[in-house]
Amino acid sequence: MTQSFKTGGRIQGHSANLLLLAGFAIVAFVLPIALSGNRYLAFVAGVTMIHILWACGMNLLYGYTGLMPLMFAGIAGISAYTVVDLTANGWSFWLALPVGALAASITGTVLGLPSLRLKGFYFTLCSLVIQTVMTLGFIYFSGLTNGDTGFSQIPLPSLRGEPLSSLSYDLVLAAAAVLGVMVLIAIMRSTLGRRLIAIREDDELAAMLGINVTGYKMIAFFVGSLFAGVGGALYAPYIGFISPRSFDVLISMNIWLMVAFGGRGTIWGPVLGAALLAPLSFFLQEYYTIKDVLYGALIIAVIVLMPAGLLGSLGRTPRLPAAEIDAPVPRRSPK
Amino acid sequence: MTEVLLEAKAVSKRFGGVVALKNIDLVQHRGETLGMIGPNGSGKTTFVNLISGHTRLSSGSIAFDHVSLAGKNPSQVAKAGLTRTYQAVRVFGELTVRENVATALVDARVRLGAEAVDELADWLRISHRYEARAGGLTLMEQRQLELLMRLVQQPKLMMLDEPVGGLSSSEVRTMIGLLSELKSRCTVFVIEHTMKVIRELADKVVVLMAGEKLAEGSPTDILADQRVIDRYLGTADA
Repeated sequence: MTQSFKTGGRIQGHSANLLLLAGFAIVAFVLPIALSGNRYLAFVAGVTMIHILWACGMNLLYGYTGLMPLMFAGIAGISAYTVVDLTANGWSFWLALPVGALAASITGTVLGLPSLRLKGFYFTLCSLVIQTVMTLGFIYFSGLTNGDTGFSQIPLPSLRGEPLSSLSYDLVLAAAAVLGVMVLIAIMRSTLGRRLIAIREDDELAAMLGINVTGYKMIAFFVGSLFAGVGGALYAPYIGFISPRSFDVLISMNIWLMVAFGGRGTIWGPVLGAALLAPLSFFLQEYYTIKDVLYGALIIAVIVLMPAGLLGSLGRTPRLPAAEIDAPVPRRSPK
Repeated sequence: MTEVLLEAKAVSKRFGGVVALKNIDLVQHRGETLGMIGPNGSGKTTFVNLISGHTRLSSGSIAFDHVSLAGKNPSQVAKAGLTRTYQAVRVFGELTVRENVATALVDARVRLGAEAVDELADWLRISHRYEARAGGLTLMEQRQLELLMRLVQQPKLMMLDEPVGGLSSSEVRTMIGLLSELKSRCTVFVIEHTMKVIRELADKVVVLMAGEKLAEGSPTDILADQRVIDRYLGTADA
């Protein structure tokens, strides 16, 4: 049976994605309105939206490009501090946000440079060191970051002189999350997505097929850091407080866990992962010590039981059995 | 004589104190199939690595289609129209055959239409496997896919590193058949350490021995060359 290269393929998967996107958008926008009576739950939903955005960025880097950047939270922090400093100096939040996000993107691209030389686990180790240095930097440059104390009472942004209501800002967060998923879907449908997956699978072979591995790794870092930056900028006024601990390695690991738990390299896995795990940490707030143990157990469980994550394990089409092997097995008769 | 496609001048490569290749001169014309033979460790793969940009030259120069390849990385070499396969077959194992081919098309030098891709896939007898995961294919099918991924890029020169390695004898015959037809689609450079493939495919043979060029000539000349017989063909390696 001969098939055609053009027909078939991924059209079906794409319409499913658009349907899910519509569903997600409805949930994201209705949730803040439905929860507007309960400020606490609405706040949990808002923080979850920021984490969905972060998980999408982490997914682009970790799930699709195969780089595990443990300095992801630090990059988000760059943007958060930039935005807080700029707004404190009289900038409009809406102007500070793109500047902060761009600062995060540029930082992320520069800090991603070691990935051009270091692969897999070695880059992860390197990014861990980078994250540690960034956390120390947030403490050390106290003129910009207020050191260990951090900034508190960061006001919600205003629009035309009027401070935004909590509900409107919740809707802004929902819009950011939906936009983040949309951008990720668009990237993965484009040739950029193909190139990133090729780099994840075998970067030497990708180069041999004409793909500029260096350039596209840097583009991945730029875009992934943009997600981190936008999330960081939105995070600061929402929580109202940032300190070096808001952007330390544990936060990076949390975001990574959301991606790995939900299903790296799938559009919806990390969204699901963030939607499950971000609220969980709120509901376990009272059992603070148990929370970290639970997270640790979850990391181990994911790695051992579901290496591909929730959606990765469920959604993967069953592998076709390998055809009969016809290759000669070198056999030497025992002498 | 036709146009020169690949020209290596005094190519040398040292790894630390080890001289892997010493002063190799080589010329390949467009449309001419060049075979390179030699025992394991004689520097054949190193030579291909130097040309494809995977390793840097220690000295000497390489020109492809009248342009120097000095300092070019693999993706730039590929963009120039020179492609290669690997001794151990290499495809994107987690992706389907279709996705593998689509990836090869993304940064291809020349955009090939779907019909032309199908024509190539039919010729390579792999078009019935479009939806299969590449990692689950047989070695032979993976080699066919590898060829397809190179051919959709319309290369000027394809360098094959032991294209029949690990195949069964019937598959070897099929592959030799495919490769002899491949010669009409692009210029072929083939590495082998057995004479069998080279004799059937090559117009010109270069024999490498411990990093040096031992002989060069037509397959029949090489088979009759006493130095080659003494040092290589007469030994168990061939």
